[in-house]
Amino acid sequence: MENLLFKFNQKRLELLERELNSFNFENLKIIMKEMLGRFIDWLRGLLGLRRNIKLGIYGDVNVGKTTLANRISLDWTGEEVGKVSEIPHETRTVQKKEKVEIKLKNNRKILLNILDMPGLATKIDYRTFLKYGLSRREAKKRAREATEGVIEAIKWLKNVDAVLAVMDATKDPLTQVNITLLGNLEARKIPVIIVANKIDLKRAKPKRIKECFPQYPVVPVSALTGKNMDQLYEVIAKYARRAK
Amino acid sequence: MIRKKLKLKFDFVSSEILEKKSKKNRIKFILNKVKDGTILVTDGVMQPEEEMDLIKETMRRVDDGFPGIEVCSLKKELKGFRGFLNKLSDQALKIQSMLTGKPPEKTKLKEGITLIGPAKFIKKIKRNPDSFSVLAGL
Repeated sequence: MENLLFKFNQKRLELLERELNSFNFENLKIIMKEMLGRFIDWLRGLLGLRRNIKLGIYGDVNVGKTTLANRISLDWTGEEVGKVSEIPHETRTVQKKEKVEIKLKNNRKILLNILDMPGLATKIDYRTFLKYGLSRREAKKRAREATEGVIEAIKWLKNVDAVLAVMDATKDPLTQVNITLLGNLEARKIPVIIVANKIDLKRAKPKRIKECFPQYPVVPVSALTGKNMDQLYEVIAKYARRAK
Repeated sequence: MIRKKLKLKFDFVSSEILEKKSKKNRIKFILNKVKDGTILVTDGVMQPEEEMDLIKETMRRVDDGFPGIEVCSLKKELKGFRGFLNKLSDQALKIQSMLTGKPPEKTKLKEGITLIGPAKFIKKIKRNPDSFSVLAGL
């Protein structure tokens, strides 16, 4: 009987040894990391520490804010945030996309509420819209809605946790809107990332933006083609953590 | 044929005049002048929050004849002891607003220069880090 038990145990040990030899420990490491990541996320949720970061997308008119919001949202939810148009002030109300989960390297995740803001401006002339084929009545309506949009975007500054300040890399970044926006965010201690957009265009000069605002992180991207978006997601994760 | 003389009016206002006014009245004063067609130049720069309030108030006043404003400001970066005093004064204001629960009524302008004018007359502002040029026309 003892002999039989010894043989049985020996066989089990041999089987175990064979299994261990064929087992890929690298896979186990990945599984453990994934499980640990999920456990930490679950724990954070349980303690009420995980929350959606309200990420405001601000900037001048026609710099590609909605294209960027759409790109982020399409990458992670498959849905768009808003309509894009060449006519200025297409976005005239704050457009939201909630609970956008961005998965980063090393199983890190961030949960965002994307807030696509109307373009900031110091002037809105209804005559500008006439050039795009709008009737006088439509143009005046659009101008009135656009002024309300600017006011709404400014009011939202009190409620955002972090900001993507979008700038058109083909244009001069030293505009009063950009300077006032960055000054406000600094005074409110809101983390800000400058997005130098439209780098797919030949005349884009993202370096100029870096030179003008050396104190801020600048990420050159093309929201239209998706170029450099991975880098932007990493920078968002880094700076969004500083959000109060 | 009667030829109407077209003129541009510039007002150079001392920062002390603006500092005497409450924030609300300061914005009202600036916009009243600009809406009348005056280009206003002052030897000071508003706080960033106040500049945003100016944009907000401008948007409320936009109509067919007044499309808005053009603003350009150059802030002087204060270094050394004066810079320290400036930061100290900023902190004192923050503490005051924290204690009272509301922002101070009157604020000092930062050292620098600001030009504010009607967008229908100011065609272009070309900015450099330490200078700016303005193209205006009627």
